[in-house]
Amino acid sequence: MKFKLSEDEVRLLKILEKSGGIASVDRIASEMKLTSDKVAALALNISLKGLLSLKTEEDSIITLTDEGLRYAKLGLPERRIADQAKAKRILSISELVNLEDWEKSIGLAWLRKKAWGTVKAGKVEVSGEATKDTDERLIELIASEGRVYMSSLPSELREAVDVLKERRLIKIEKSSTRFISLSRLGEEALRGEIEILEEVSRLTRELIISGRWRNVVFKKYDVALPSYRIPIGRLSFVREVLDYIRQVWVEMGFIEMEGPILETCFWNYDALYVPQDHPARDLQDTFYVKTPKFGRLPNQDLVEKVRNVHESGWSIGSIGWGYHWDLEESRKTLLRTHTTCLSARTLAILRDVELPVKFFAVSKVFRNEKPDRTHLCEFYQTEGIVVDENANMKNLVGYLKEFFKRLGFPDARFRPAYFPYTEPSLEVEVYCPTMDKWVELAGAGIFRPEVVKPLLGREIPVLAWGLGPGRMIMLNYNLKDMRELTMNDIDLLRSAPVWIR
Amino acid sequence: MPVIRVSLRDFEKLVGLALPISRLRSELPMIGLSWERDDYEGFEVEVFPNRPDMLSPEGLARAYKGFIGLEKGMPQYVVKSSFYDVYVDRDVCEVRPCSIFTVVKNIPMDEEVLKSIIQLQEKLHVSYCRNRRKASIGVHDLDKFKPPVKYTVKTSDFKFKPLDYDREITIKGILECHPKGVEYGHILAGFGKYPIIEDSEGLVLSMPPIINSDYTKVDVKTRNIFIDCTGLDWKTVSSVLNIITTSLAERGGEIYKVKVFYPFETPFGMVFESPDLRIQEVKLSLDFVNKILGEKLTMEEVLEFLYRMRYDAVGCSGENVLVKVPAYRVDIMHPIDLVEDIAIAYGYDRIKPEIPKVFTSGGESYLERFSSKVRLVMVGLGFQEVITDVLTNPHDLFIAMRIKPEPVVELENPKTIEYTVCRSWLMPCLMKTLSRNRHREYPQRIFEVDDVVILDENSETGARNVRKLAAVSTHSEADYAEIRAVVDALLKILDIDFHINPGEHPSFIDGRIGFIETTTGENLGFLGEIHPEVLENFGLENPSVGFEINLEFIMRLKGLDGNPKRAHADGPF
Repeated sequence: MKFKLSEDEVRLLKILEKSGGIASVDRIASEMKLTSDKVAALALNISLKGLLSLKTEEDSIITLTDEGLRYAKLGLPERRIADQAKAKRILSISELVNLEDWEKSIGLAWLRKKAWGTVKAGKVEVSGEATKDTDERLIELIASEGRVYMSSLPSELREAVDVLKERRLIKIEKSSTRFISLSRLGEEALRGEIEILEEVSRLTRELIISGRWRNVVFKKYDVALPSYRIPIGRLSFVREVLDYIRQVWVEMGFIEMEGPILETCFWNYDALYVPQDHPARDLQDTFYVKTPKFGRLPNQDLVEKVRNVHESGWSIGSIGWGYHWDLEESRKTLLRTHTTCLSARTLAILRDVELPVKFFAVSKVFRNEKPDRTHLCEFYQTEGIVVDENANMKNLVGYLKEFFKRLGFPDARFRPAYFPYTEPSLEVEVYCPTMDKWVELAGAGIFRPEVVKPLLGREIPVLAWGLGPGRMIMLNYNLKDMRELTMNDIDLLRSAPVWIR
Repeated sequence: MPVIRVSLRDFEKLVGLALPISRLRSELPMIGLSWERDDYEGFEVEVFPNRPDMLSPEGLARAYKGFIGLEKGMPQYVVKSSFYDVYVDRDVCEVRPCSIFTVVKNIPMDEEVLKSIIQLQEKLHVSYCRNRRKASIGVHDLDKFKPPVKYTVKTSDFKFKPLDYDREITIKGILECHPKGVEYGHILAGFGKYPIIEDSEGLVLSMPPIINSDYTKVDVKTRNIFIDCTGLDWKTVSSVLNIITTSLAERGGEIYKVKVFYPFETPFGMVFESPDLRIQEVKLSLDFVNKILGEKLTMEEVLEFLYRMRYDAVGCSGENVLVKVPAYRVDIMHPIDLVEDIAIAYGYDRIKPEIPKVFTSGGESYLERFSSKVRLVMVGLGFQEVITDVLTNPHDLFIAMRIKPEPVVELENPKTIEYTVCRSWLMPCLMKTLSRNRHREYPQRIFEVDDVVILDENSETGARNVRKLAAVSTHSEADYAEIRAVVDALLKILDIDFHINPGEHPSFIDGRIGFIETTTGENLGFLGEIHPEVLENFGLENPSVGFEINLEFIMRLKGLDGNPKRAHADGPF
């Protein structure tokens, strides 16, 4: 059998053989002049070929404490006392030399404990032979080796470990040692035929085209290590949601509308039957525009119908708002406050179009707000209308259920609401499982006859609904501050999880 | 929208039932209110602007009793005759022409009733009365003055004791110092005379719409009250008076007529016994109801729902019914409003969803479809999309970019100096974004595809959107070659033949700015190395390069016209 091994692998096996078939990783590392981690990785590789085996042994390392080191040099205090007293048989404590005061009391206590002698009235009397015990032999052993493994201690010295530990002369630390041992197959390989392969870290074009890759081994990487960060290019997470919403509308058969950001009051408010003194039209809520201050109104016929519907309800069975409608007010420009102006513009060009048709918009709208945690002065809104002579409330509820299901909210419920341009009007609440509560998400309704008749020329129930996707995006990405939607923090843009529904 | 507070005990008394808060929490929103919050004493609900008649616990209870079927049909209010007269002075015409009055006697006044009167008045003022401009209400203790009452005008040196004051002050003083004078004085500004309501002995009741006098103050001992309602619109003043009068009648108050003598022609004539609790009648067809709701309700069911919403019906003939609308309902303009109430009584939660099985084709606009393509190309070129604000300010838009300010769409009423104009190009918005991300990891390559707003006299609104693409790359190695490579790749993918002309642009380093021209001579935009002074202005420390191009030019070249009227990809146009 022929073994393909790298140069390093062969070296490792040879060292192992030389050390009698077993050695610790640390020892091999020092001989190979590699780090222990490298050797361990190398050994792991070879072990996969069955040439060696790895095992880890748990052991304890014993070393001397500072006090232990002192005694190793000078002898235990009781030994030093015994030696001095032996010469004189009886010795007064005050005559003891080479002992610190604290050592004297320790020494005398142990002298008595070891029954080497007695202490009476300040005098030490040694009785008999003070034989060298295992504790002294253990200290000597550790002192000569620097440190010893618990497992390598001769059994007769084991009992001394506890004694010295109690005297705080030794320290015991847990250690684990990795051992590599040559297997039978490994021994065979060393005796047999080995093909030495070059080890490479990078696969190069040269290796591929020359075919030399067949004769090399690839250095194994630590695949668990993280790599560098890519400077990502991707769509904004807000765009992902907007695109998704757009796709839902298209799937449901809606055509996209678009129109100017700078709108006239006529399309933004008057055509939608919002009375000219409505609070939403206040300077406090709407951005009016200084330049250009006025826009052009559409054809006179439409303008007159809108005027009539506001002033007296025109001829459609309404009493209207009953006030004097101001043409100049209607010409004023503003930044559109909702996407509903797009619906109004669309209705006005549908006169000769075959019904049913459905439209949607996903566009920016503007409100006169000072941006804070819960407000933005510009944000996206999405809205859809269904222009169908046979449409009704049941359909509206049906479309809403379907729409919100596709947006990821299978549970939607409805309650009465108010908008100046729809009647009946609905508030849509969806169940949000992450918060375990119902969240107001959208407004819906059927456009009032006062809106539809002047624009479309006939009175049919136009279904409409809309929402600001901001709420949904914030719920999904767990954002607490609306401004995060417009701040474009690159970290957030790069790391926000992909939008999936 | 106004939020009212209702004491639970008081509400239970008004309805005549013990009402667990959980029941109200689920039922009241289904009448058309938003539940705001509740505690052990009561609850708060938001009342929609079309239902000012529900701005009081009395009005709320009236609607609720119908909704749960406890009391059906139109509430009957008896209006008794009296000898109270009001004389209106011709001079009020210019200042605050409309006025209407009434008396309500024997009100079982207590703390709750008093609180409710004050709350109703306040909430009507901010909502339906348009901050007292369109109409305002004064409530007075009838027993504290001597009728007949005169509605007249005074000059600014006229003195009286305003509510909760211990001394007389002049009208001028009230306008300058009293909080209400300061807040609402603008309504009377410029006339030189001020409306005053006074009694037969010259005792002041009120100075509408600013403040009542202290002499006729209503308190818990008041039993009989006199109400004035003045304003600029006859319909509004009359509606407001009806709402407040009927709500007091719900408490058990007795309504008395007040004879008002106008020295000019009014919708009520020259002598009128107010309040005007006349009933509005609206013709409703069963067909219309069922067409809108998509249901097959019978006339009996429709009538039941109408009664529950506190309407009466007369002259029910076959498919049609004449619906009587109570005088406090100010929102019924068209039969569709009755249909909504029928739907509410039927229950929004009972409406079965049903999608018609009719084919309609859908589609994105060309503009969005093309924009999406361009965004994907930019992402492929390693750029991060950003979506920045259309609103900006001349400093960021021009000055920081080393450009002389040009005319742009400018706001009339900005709230912050940060947002005063609409952007006319995208690059400053990208610079601002990079400026906010200074502490983030580099390299940073960002782009945006979105609208700018350009002044255009020929367009209907005087300005139009233009869809643009801009990108900026900033890092220590950024140079012209990088951005040129990006533009080359992009325009190659978009299949545009072009060449780059040298030119000048203050935002870029001289000699490192190029203008992109198509082979047909159209200027698509520019690219270059951004001027270090611009970088300094935005606090950027790395060289930056960028480009901006007009996508609508490209769409025109491709025959994808950006004209909104043709924008519906698969539409009927």
